[in-house]
Parts: sequence; structure tokens; C-alpha cells
Amino acid sequence: MEELKYVGKSIIKDDTYDKATGKTKFICDMKRHNMLYAKLVLSEKPHAEIEMDKSEALNIEGIEAVYTYDDIPHVLYNSHEWFAGGNQYKDEYLLCNRARFVGDRIALVVGKSKRVVEEAISKLSIGYKELESVVGIKQAKENKAIIKNDSNVAFSKSINCGDYEEEFKKADYIIKDSGKTQKIHHSAIEPHICLSEIDEHGSLVVWSPCQTAFQIQYHVASVLNIPFNKVRVIKAVMGGSFGGKGQTVLEPICAFAAYTLNRPVMLYMDRKDAILGTRSRNATEISVETAISKEGKILARKIIADIDGGAYHTNSTAVAMAIGKKLFRMYDIQNQYFQGNSYYTNTIPGGACRGYGSPQAHAITEINIDNAAKKIRMDPCEFRLNNLVKEGAKDPTGGTDIGNTKIRQCVINGMEDFDWKNKRQNIKTKDTDRYAYGVGMACAVHGNGYMGAYPDFSNVDMSIFADGSVLVKIGIHDQGCGTVTTMQQIAAESLDINVDKVRVLEVDTLATPYDSAGTQASRVTFVCGGAVKSAGENLRKKVIDSFCKLKGYSEDDVIASNGFVYQKNSDKKYSYGDVAVELETKHSQSMSVFERYESPANPATHAASFAEVKVDKYTGYVEVIDLLAVHDIGKSINPQIVEGQIQGGAHMSLGMALLEEIDIDKNGYVKSTNFSKYHLLNAPQMPEVRVMTIEENEPFGPYGAKSVGELAAVAPAPAVLNAINFALDTNITIYPATPEVVMNAISNKK
Amino acid sequence: MKIEVVVNKKKIKMDVDPTTRLIDFLRDDLNLTGVKEGCSEGECGSCTVILDGVAVTSCTILVGQVNGSEIITIEGLEQSGELDVIQKSFIENGAIQCGFCTPGMILSCKALLMKNPNPSEEEIKRAIEGNLCRCTGYNKIVKAVQDVVGKEV
Repeated sequence: MEELKYVGKSIIKDDTYDKATGKTKFICDMKRHNMLYAKLVLSEKPHAEIEMDKSEALNIEGIEAVYTYDDIPHVLYNSHEWFAGGNQYKDEYLLCNRARFVGDRIALVVGKSKRVVEEAISKLSIGYKELESVVGIKQAKENKAIIKNDSNVAFSKSINCGDYEEEFKKADYIIKDSGKTQKIHHSAIEPHICLSEIDEHGSLVVWSPCQTAFQIQYHVASVLNIPFNKVRVIKAVMGGSFGGKGQTVLEPICAFAAYTLNRPVMLYMDRKDAILGTRSRNATEISVETAISKEGKILARKIIADIDGGAYHTNSTAVAMAIGKKLFRMYDIQNQYFQGNSYYTNTIPGGACRGYGSPQAHAITEINIDNAAKKIRMDPCEFRLNNLVKEGAKDPTGGTDIGNTKIRQCVINGMEDFDWKNKRQNIKTKDTDRYAYGVGMACAVHGNGYMGAYPDFSNVDMSIFADGSVLVKIGIHDQGCGTVTTMQQIAAESLDINVDKVRVLEVDTLATPYDSAGTQASRVTFVCGGAVKSAGENLRKKVIDSFCKLKGYSEDDVIASNGFVYQKNSDKKYSYGDVAVELETKHSQSMSVFERYESPANPATHAASFAEVKVDKYTGYVEVIDLLAVHDIGKSINPQIVEGQIQGGAHMSLGMALLEEIDIDKNGYVKSTNFSKYHLLNAPQMPEVRVMTIEENEPFGPYGAKSVGELAAVAPAPAVLNAINFALDTNITIYPATPEVVMNAISNKK
Repeated sequence: MKIEVVVNKKKIKMDVDPTTRLIDFLRDDLNLTGVKEGCSEGECGSCTVILDGVAVTSCTILVGQVNGSEIITIEGLEQSGELDVIQKSFIENGAIQCGFCTPGMILSCKALLMKNPNPSEEEIKRAIEGNLCRCTGYNKIVKAVQDVVGKEV
């Protein structure tokens, strides 16, 4: 391969100067003439019919409106459905008259200032006629209280290959484990917010720090019964999402208020609202049975995943399928049965959360793999190496090909760098009366988009102007990960022009061409990056072709490099901009291309994490001393950004392992409504995350690249639990492994 | 209440409601929107400013309490177009992702460096223990501070 000029370089992220100086305008910093503020009123009861007397609130000076169920269009939508053909079960209103969880939207108060809005909310007289609630998977299964329709089962489906029952009969051992994972608050430091207004062209505009602008356009248009072509959604600067700003929770009701009042409206949330009133990672209860031979080969596996879908359907179907499908794409298991069951409960609805099902899928299965290895006294890395998929593997359920995976290399390189064998053998010599030490590891798999399941394409409009500057219009949403810079680098590389010349727009549904699925599903670098590369190559070709046509040269004699094109033996260099001007003048054409790019593949992306922990046996407190994350990423477009993704993903995964949980009591009331009760790892608790990448080229990825940001949040958690279990000789399968859980495991052992 | 404060080296005299939160005074009255609100109760640190040399959360302080004080916000670090070394280091080290915690994070680090130009890794982590960041895992932030140790701040 030719040497790359921009791809593979740690180019500084384009937005960091403004962010370091406080100049960046997030939505909370935007102002509009005559703008109103709006806040949702969230249900304080888990399941109740609502009556509201809003007269006192409406009498407060400066209050413009208090909307309830009676005021809104009675059109149902599914906040998770990202395109009109999604065929998802629709069960949400903009505002409800029967609340189904603590945090459900029951009213919107709109006024001239935040102060009057808060005052009006305190003056609302809300009557709750309480209904029996369903909390947790166990209660949901009992079907005694029903939340909607005739059953609490939201979705149920099995996926399988081979004949697991037959193989179970032949097995030397069957290793059974069951455990559970928690609901998680995404904890973007920017609470949810959006702004809606009507612009000078009569478009209903929604500014949102979102992941899927075209999804918002679809929901706003269909719920408010406005033509799609009059709804304009602009992705605002986003103060973090991690999946949490993926669903349309605020935007349609904010747009409704702006449209109805014909004034700009900013809908803001505080932290409590963001925890209660948006979305959470689906809690799960998962049981695994793995049949193995005494030589250490997995013969068959059976997995049942029960999923807490929360109060609305949202992603109940998608997350069950996401959990299931991944389980066929890491180990070579030809006989496997998966069943995913999603249930309605009177708790926060589920939504995307960094890894989309992968953290749950691996949480218990990777502990079970360790237990299988333990059963036959085999090193867990060796056991995995016996069973991990190889390059070019096929998905046994007929899914997309696994691709050029290097998961085995991840394990081998990780073992060496971590000094695995030595540590595994000798770490216990560090033990004291009080402290137990352990090392553990886990593997993980994730995808690269929707290809094989849903439409997955992106459109790019790329132009070169007279001054040689390049504008790339593509419907991407930078979540702070450096997506724009990544695309700039790909555009610069494919055009062969300095990266400073390239501007990449984020999505504005009026300005950027349609993108099928938004910035989710780990599709952006792989699919949108592929689209930009393809557009860049075609545009460069157009520069060369135009130059040849204009000057009478043959293509073989022409070089296009660093933004200039010239005849090999000539000193006279023309900038791409010069050629654009001449092309327009002489041939009445613009120097631009429009590229429709359909994803060509959806390979697996794999990683392995290695962790060392120190467990305080007196308190149950676990400290992660060392974490090594090894990622097969095909090619780093920007190594510094990739490293940042892996370290940040590890932070989220370690939080899942040790302390994060939306604490909901047995009656459905949420106890962790702020950051003093919902704990994130802070700086002193966070270990250094050592990052290794394996870059061996994925043929279908742009410059060989695969996904990284979501997968980064998967393997560290089970690696840590495996390390704890190794340290204590326990079998903890409950997330988070809080001091209480650890102490219980220690005392149960006694 | 009439107050006199120095904000980013500029003397401000203003008639204020003393029960206004410092964050609202800075954002709404002085238009210093680099001060960010993430939790409204001093838990996330994104509203951190430097008050008389100490990093504080401006959402838990009332403007009536700061009369006669000197305040530095993120907007005050840049001097005649030149970024502070800690700002440069955050940029160069990839310590900024979504950027919402960044102003508060930088100011906590700046306050540390003003007092202790040579902090240990442990001291750096302690200085930012009240600043939550969901994007970076803090690794590159700690590295950004370590990189300016010994340099003039």
C-alpha cells in the first residue's frame, strides 16, 4: 500500500480549540429573540392515571402554556424507530394521561424564563390514581399486573444453529451459570436539551444534540402531521451521548410547543430529569449452559436472555436480537440456541447504550467461559484460543461474514504484554490477610453497522471550490468522539489534499443528504467513512479527468497530489480550485460528486481485555490496578482518537463492573436520582488503560478500518469480574459487583 | 445588593439579587457561557471556576457570597490570543472529547498548578476528583497536566 499522508496520523480534533476556550456553543448557550423555556413534568408514580389541574400554574406571569395529554395530537410513535420502514410497535404519546414509569412525560410547562417554569411546575396540582405496578423481570413474567395489551412479554425470539440438544448428550461437561446486569444511566455530562423554532423559510427547525437527525425529522413530521420537507433537524454540538441521546424523547414535544406557540422554545432537563425521564441500558437476567469436551472444545451452548424493556416498547425487539446475534460471532460454536425475551415493566424504558446489547451478552457468557476452562483446569486464555473464530469465518446462522478478524492475535499479544501466564500463576503470592489479588480477562465482539439487518447506506455531496477548499456534506453526528476529524482525514487522503482544506458538515436535514441510520450501531467510520472515501476518490478522478480534458494530457502523464494537479514534466502546477474554475468556465460543470454508498459488508470487530484487581476482603471494595485493552480495529484512522475511545469505553465498562446502577426499589421508585447516588468512577478510582491495537486491514473498511467506540465498553467488565472471581475463588455473576455483592460472595463461600 | 468582583481581571460593579447562584450570574449577567451546568449540586464539576485561587463549583455558591473576590472562568485563561499552557496541553494530548466537562476540568487543573506547579500523579487525580468526565476515562487529562509540569503556568 502507498504511504498514507493523513490516515493513521494523530491529527488534533477539529473542535478542541473552541472547547478548550469555552467558545463552543452548546444548546444551553444558544439564545433566540423571544425565546421561551420549557420543562417536562415527569410522573412521580410508577403506574398511575393522571389528572391535572393546571389553572394555578397558568396564572403565573410569564407562563405561556401548560400542555398535557388533552392538548397534544394523539398519534403514537416509537422513539427508537429510526426510519419510516422500521415496523416497530408504536406505544408512546408526546405526553401521557397514564404514566407507566417514574419519569414518564405527563406535562410540558412553557414560560419566559426557567424561574417561572420551575415555579409553575411547583404549582401544578397533579392527581395520581395509582395502578398496580410491575418492577423487575420476575414480576413481569408472572403477568399478574399487566402494563399494556394482554401480556408483559414485549418480544420473544430464538436464534439457533445446529442441534445443541444432541451435542449436550455427548458433552464431557456442561457448565451452567446465570447472572444479571443492571440499568445504567448514560451520564453524558450535558443533560438532555433541545431547541425548536420556525425559520425564515417556514421550516419547523429542531436543534438537538442527537445521533439520528433523520429519525427526529420522521417523528416530528408524523406525530405533528407536518410534511417531512418542512421539518428541518440540525445536529447541535453534543456534550456526550453514549446512546442516551439516540431516541427522540424531547424533540417532538419541543417542536410541538414551538409550532403551536410560533416562538422559539428551548426544552431543558436537569440531572434528575435526565436520569429518570430519558432512557437506560436494558437490565438483563441471563442464563448460560455450555457443553464442552474434556479437551477444551465448546460443543454447544444454550443461552436464555430475559430483558427488562421498561415501560415502552422502544428497543425491546432490537436489543434482544442484538444480544443474540453477537453470541454466534466470537466463538466457533456450531450448535447453539439463543432465546431472547423482552418484558414490559414500570421502569425507565430501554435504549441504546454504548455497545448495544454487547455488554449484556458478554457479561455472563464470558464468566461462564472462564468457568468452563476452570472445570478442565485449563488456562482461560488457552481455552479461548481453542474456540475463538478464525479469519474468514462464517456466521453459522447465516449472518454477514466475520471478516478478517484478529481476535486470536488480540489474546496472544495481550497475554504477552500483560505477562499473563506469570501473573496468573504467581499473583496470589501478593495476597495478604486483608487483600486478595487476581487477574482475569475477557473477549468481546461487536459489529460495523446494520448491513444484513436494516438498510445501511449513506449519501455524500462533495465539492471543491475556486479557492481549493473542499466541502463534504454527509449526515454524520459527532458525539465528541472525533467523527468530523476522522471524516476529514479520510476525505483528505482520498482526494490527496491537505486536511486543513477540508470542511465536513454534520447533519442538517436541509443541507446534508439523507443517511439511512444515523450515528449509531458502530457504523460511522465503517459505512460513512467508506462513503467519504469513495466520494473522495471519485472527485479526485474528476479533477484528473477534467485537467486532462482541459489541457489535452493523457491520464498517465498527470499527477494529482497535495491539492495540485500537473503534467509530470511540467513545472506549472494547478490547484484543484484552478481546475474547478476552468471546468465551470469551459464545460459548464461544478467540481463536485454525489455519492450513494451502500455498505458492502458488516464484519465483526473483536477485542480482549486483561485486568488486575486488588480486593479488600474486609470491605468488599475492588480496585482495578491494571487494565490492558487489545483491539482488532483493522486500521486506526486517528490513533489518538482511537486510544481516547478505548480509554473512555473502559471507564463506562468498569463502572458497569463495579458501581453504576440506576437503583429502583421494589415499588418502582428510583433512588439514584443524582450523581451523589449514581456513582461514576472518578479520576482517583480510574486505572491507566493501556491500549494495544492490531491493525491488519479489514478489506471492506475504509483504509482497512473497523469500529471501536462501542466495543471499547464491553470486555473490561467481565475481565474485571473474572479477576475478582480468580482473586477470591468465587463465582460472582451480578453486575455491578459492589462491595455488598463481593462481601456476600465471600461470606457465602465460608 | 451591590457587589464588586474582579472577573477575568475585569472589575465588575453590579446590583444583584444576592441569592442568585454564581453560575447564573456568570452565564446570564456576564455572558460567560463557558461555565457549564451538568448536575446543579456540585457533584459533576462542570461549573467549576477559580475563586480567589481555589477551584469551586459555581452552582453551589451564591453571588452574594463572592463580593470582593477574584474569579477566573475558562474565558479568562487565554491572554491576548495566546492559550494558557494547560489549554494547549489538553488540546495536544487529546484530553477533550465532547467538551462539556472541559472548562471545569481545565480550571481545576489550573487551580492546582497555580498552587503546586509540580504535582504528582496522585495529586493531579485528587485535584480533579470532583470533576466527572464520561468520555476520556481521565487518562489523557492526567497526561495533559503531567505534560505541563515544570512549564510556566
